[in-house]
Amino acid sequence: MVWFEIKKIFSRTGNKIALLLLAALLSLTCFLTVGSVEYVDEQGESASGIEAARHLREDKNQWAGEITEEVLLKVLQRDAEINASEEYLSKDVQENNKAYAKKQGFSDIRDMLNHAFTPFREYDYYRVDSLTAKEAARFYEQRVVVLMDWLNSDEAKDRYSEEEKNFIITKYRELQTPLYYEYADGWKAFAEYAPTIIMLTVLILAFPIAGVFANEFQCRAESIFFSARLGRNKAVRSKIYAGIWIITGIYWTVIFWYSAVVLGILGTDGAECAIQTSLGGWKSFYHITNLQNYFLIVGGGYLGSLFILTLVMFLSARTHSMVLPVTVPFILLFLPSFLSNLPVLSEVLGLWPDQLLQMGQTVCMFHLYQVGNKVVGAVPIIMILYPVLTCVLLPLLYRIYSRTEVK
Amino acid sequence: MELKMDDLTKEFGKFTAVDHISLTMTNGVYGLLGINGAGKTTLMRMLCTLLRPTVGNIYCNGRDIFEMDSEYRKLLGYLPQEFGFYPEFTVQDYLLYIAALKGIRPAVARKRVRELLEKVGLAKAAGKKMKKLSGGMKRRAGIAQAMLNDPKILILDEPTAGLDPNERIRFRNLISELSEERLVLLSTHIVSDVEYIANEIWLMGEGTILHRGSVEEIIASMPENVWECSVKKDQVAAYMRNYKISNMKTEPEGAALRIISRDRPAESAKRAEASLEDVFLYYFGENAKSEAEEIG
Repeated sequence: MVWFEIKKIFSRTGNKIALLLLAALLSLTCFLTVGSVEYVDEQGESASGIEAARHLREDKNQWAGEITEEVLLKVLQRDAEINASEEYLSKDVQENNKAYAKKQGFSDIRDMLNHAFTPFREYDYYRVDSLTAKEAARFYEQRVVVLMDWLNSDEAKDRYSEEEKNFIITKYRELQTPLYYEYADGWKAFAEYAPTIIMLTVLILAFPIAGVFANEFQCRAESIFFSARLGRNKAVRSKIYAGIWIITGIYWTVIFWYSAVVLGILGTDGAECAIQTSLGGWKSFYHITNLQNYFLIVGGGYLGSLFILTLVMFLSARTHSMVLPVTVPFILLFLPSFLSNLPVLSEVLGLWPDQLLQMGQTVCMFHLYQVGNKVVGAVPIIMILYPVLTCVLLPLLYRIYSRTEVK
Repeated sequence: MELKMDDLTKEFGKFTAVDHISLTMTNGVYGLLGINGAGKTTLMRMLCTLLRPTVGNIYCNGRDIFEMDSEYRKLLGYLPQEFGFYPEFTVQDYLLYIAALKGIRPAVARKRVRELLEKVGLAKAAGKKMKKLSGGMKRRAGIAQAMLNDPKILILDEPTAGLDPNERIRFRNLISELSEERLVLLSTHIVSDVEYIANEIWLMGEGTILHRGSVEEIIASMPENVWECSVKKDQVAAYMRNYKISNMKTEPEGAALRIISRDRPAESAKRAEASLEDVFLYYFGENAKSEAEEIG
């Protein structure tokens, strides 16, 4: 019966088009993700994609290893040498590009230094150029110092309770140093573009999923469905299973191809590097590796998709229509963009289901929640909250649909 | 098989669609005759567990059908007035899906679908998409789905609606053939659909059963007589105003009228044998007439 339900959904032309559209968008996202990795060659010419990844891997892996004081000094020294070169000092952009080409190998470490020595909410690309060896030696301590300065600033001092501040500081101090570094642009590119394809998958899947329960009413087949022997029990369960199968099957197919293409082309090196070794992850208080971040992104994405699309099923079962249900993912995913300026809603939006679809960004956010003396970040909460809500919705969905009256 | 309605009532807000009906059905064909809006569909939906009654109960062999739940629906075959289907499914897939909904094992379902497709004359259309079928073929697919589980209770709501006369006759014969050893309730507003095949006819209006009985009993229940006469053109309007006219045939000199009246309407009028259609017109008046015009 589950097979018939799936067949019913995908026999509709609109849903076939939706799947083709998703395939096209997946291809486009893969193309953009792979193309986002850029490399400047010795001649100052830019390249992107497969070749760029190959060159970057070679350059960056020359700096692979633990980021010790010795490595940092070497970075400062090399940076200063390049800054003193003719190419760097030239007014010709092409010449400047040649200088930049020489910095690519240690650009990630350079970014970390810049972050460590500029105020928390700022970023100064040239800060490293004026950094002394004595300062660089305080690299890891400085990460905590910058955080503490910010937590005591006017901007943040009232935003967090003392327990919350202590929580973040403790987390920062717990980061195991020295950090291990190697080329990890595949994981970084994956994390950057994954929310796009995950959100697109949810938005597009809403159309076939809304049809699972509304289909009977759209086809005016509800009378026969509900008057059949299993129409109010097993058939309803089959619809739920079909919905979950469609969500699971399509989501993981998309993720499989996206991962295969992006990581296959850009490489899986750097899986064991901490996310703090990247520009985006430097401030995160979650101590996870790129590989763990990957699992968090795809796992969170799945749980978020499952929740949002179960809600779509629930509403279509309730309204017997597709109109309202298909708008729900749009509302859930885009409403935070409009409400993010309201500080009052900041805490709520930190737990909004869209956070699950963009775990790469969520782990870099400072959404904290305090229950009694216990402080936790948003990630563990939403990873538990939405699966629980999904589990609550499913029996409700069954109950509502199996008790439908045909008027 | 006994299906008993006890004080069955369905209200939608202030509107009472079915009004305190108490009836018992056993095996045989029951024709539920009434104009649109009489409450036929609501009554049938309650019998199919699609709607819960506001008041009253329905018992199947003494057990409440809503408590029996799927056990009751196992006995049921239903063809609704608005027969919805999945347009992209082939006839065979559609029937196999409904068979699955009815809890029929796939191997049995395949055999049953083949048999029924033969029976309803759709064997050659088994691979055709449902949306490509003609109105008559769709209805035949509808009766096939209702028969999949060999139901003991077969409920057909306006099964001939929208069919041409040939299809209607075919369909009527098919229902008659299928009605052996089961309880069939067939609702219609087309008198000829039930006139020859129903063992008992229920005349339904405004949510209640106005009259019930065999065709002969229903005809005998009409307290007026049926007359036939020819009148001149200029007299037609006056007759239309003063009498219930069950049929009018235009003639070169005027019109031949079939009039329902207690007394002889004209000197030349001759008594005619009353038909079920006359009774229908008598009880449902102008509404019945407009429906008759509607169906052509």
